[in-house]
Amino acid sequence: MNEKFKQYTDEETFSKIVAFPCIAAMWEDRVKTYGDNVAIVDGEVYTYARLNEDVAAFRTVLSENGATPGSLIGILCPNSYGFVKAYLAAVTFGVPAVLMPTHLDEMTVFGIASKFGMKAVVYDESLEAKVAVLREKNPGVALIPSAATADAAMPSISVPAETPAAILFTGGTTGKSKGAKLSHKAILAGTMNGCYGIREIFCQRYLLVLPLTHVFGLIRNLMTSLYTGSAMYICRNNKDMFRDVAVFKPTIMVLVPALAEMALNLSRQFGRNMWGPDLKTIICGAAPVAPYLVKEYDKIGVTLLPGYGLTESANLVSGNPEALAKPESVGLIYDGMAYKIVDGELWLKGINMMDGYVTPEDNALAYEDGYFKTGDLVRIDEEGFLYITGRLKEIIVLSSGENVSPAELEVKFCGIDVISDCLVYDEDGKRLVLEILPRMTRVKELGIEDLYSYVKGEVDKINSTLPPFEQITKIIIRDTDFVRTPAMKIARNLNGNVKK
Amino acid sequence: MAMSRNEITQKLVDVMALTMPENAIDLNNLREDMSLVGDLGLSSVGVLYNVIAIEEFFNIRFDDVGFADLKTVGEVINYIEQKVNV
Repeated sequence: MNEKFKQYTDEETFSKIVAFPCIAAMWEDRVKTYGDNVAIVDGEVYTYARLNEDVAAFRTVLSENGATPGSLIGILCPNSYGFVKAYLAAVTFGVPAVLMPTHLDEMTVFGIASKFGMKAVVYDESLEAKVAVLREKNPGVALIPSAATADAAMPSISVPAETPAAILFTGGTTGKSKGAKLSHKAILAGTMNGCYGIREIFCQRYLLVLPLTHVFGLIRNLMTSLYTGSAMYICRNNKDMFRDVAVFKPTIMVLVPALAEMALNLSRQFGRNMWGPDLKTIICGAAPVAPYLVKEYDKIGVTLLPGYGLTESANLVSGNPEALAKPESVGLIYDGMAYKIVDGELWLKGINMMDGYVTPEDNALAYEDGYFKTGDLVRIDEEGFLYITGRLKEIIVLSSGENVSPAELEVKFCGIDVISDCLVYDEDGKRLVLEILPRMTRVKELGIEDLYSYVKGEVDKINSTLPPFEQITKIIIRDTDFVRTPAMKIARNLNGNVKK
Repeated sequence: MAMSRNEITQKLVDVMALTMPENAIDLNNLREDMSLVGDLGLSSVGVLYNVIAIEEFFNIRFDDVGFADLKTVGEVINYIEQKVNV
């Protein structure tokens, strides 16, 4: 598998990248091989052997709370040792884990847990308030503090490769976004893909700054770290990440482009390499990677490797081992996937693809001819390198890696009485713009003289209900209609930032 | 070293000029009632960038429940004022 990446990796290292039938089998092997290695640092230092003991005890906790192989649990924890322990306990017990972003509100937590039929939710005690509604309205769902433990150890269970292991939320990370079902086979394929294209990948030091509820954090960071016998230091608050760098001295970082760029700017402003002298590699993705980042990092001796992946593909679809030569490319497509390009759009199927979304109606539009339609417009050069040229899907990917569904936001803003129609789009991937067509009859009825101030006041009210990355930061009031499709819908590709 | 509110504001403008060079807002016209997200257009990473830069330039440490709870420029200045003038 993935022989095309062999030239970029040390030979012995390449031979160590081997497949396992399920996550439990991988985990048992890694504990045997790397038992004394540091696995996780989160306040305390946990070796692979110690983590394994805690995971075995937590399988007992899950069982005592009614979870059985095949039942579903939720994990509502910030990046923490408790998250890692609960996730590993679930997947090595044949229990799929729904990874719930911590910014979900208590009604959404209740809604998801109830809708998905979860047996239990493992929660961090700092998020006690988020499970309050669930506790009150659905006592059938057991609530387990992530710090819970048991005296007895429960052995792990091997499951068929196709068994679901985790459900991750795509897109807007709200209750309305889609839950993608990822099997053991898909997650392990994604985990192995993360090992290719780097000369030294085993026994590294990672500093985790991306959320573990995001596929890039879970698979490319946590899973690949565990697969390779590496140590992962959990940064509890990203504002402290450079203090953590000084203590832990990471050798690899998994970053979104906005964080890579921020560190580069801070390095210039403070006159020192913020990542420290030991960092050799940055894996960069979840949003378009500007080629200049590759070149600028090379100047300070750090190899920045762009990649491309989706939640639906258990993260990694392609990785670029030739980043300096082809900095615009997201790399070579990993083996185990079949692809075709239809009207410029990338369609995928293969071992690392999800087994569909949780809600059946979401699947109807997602697939065609057995392929998952990525919504990304691509081209492939003569050497097989993939380039993303645009997006078909109405999802805005900010440079921070956060995804925004403009349609969901537009519904909210169209509720403002003086807005006849509106469009949400991004400016340089950094901030959201709301462009509106005013309903002038209503403006006159209300006797509004300063329309901008009125709209801004109403938008601010809605903003206050949204997470910061979904908030509107610029308002444009049109005096002519939007360009529209024959069906009179706003032509998203002919309005907004396209015309600038 | 104690700092006056004016000194803090001026230094904050200097920090923001570094962290948001492409910002559409004229930082010389920064007002205390401006919101960080709505008016200054700070993204989540932009907020983080400012926190790290403010900590470095003012030699202070935000508490864990620090910057995320601050909504306006005035609240940021209040917070810095309280930290630097302990």
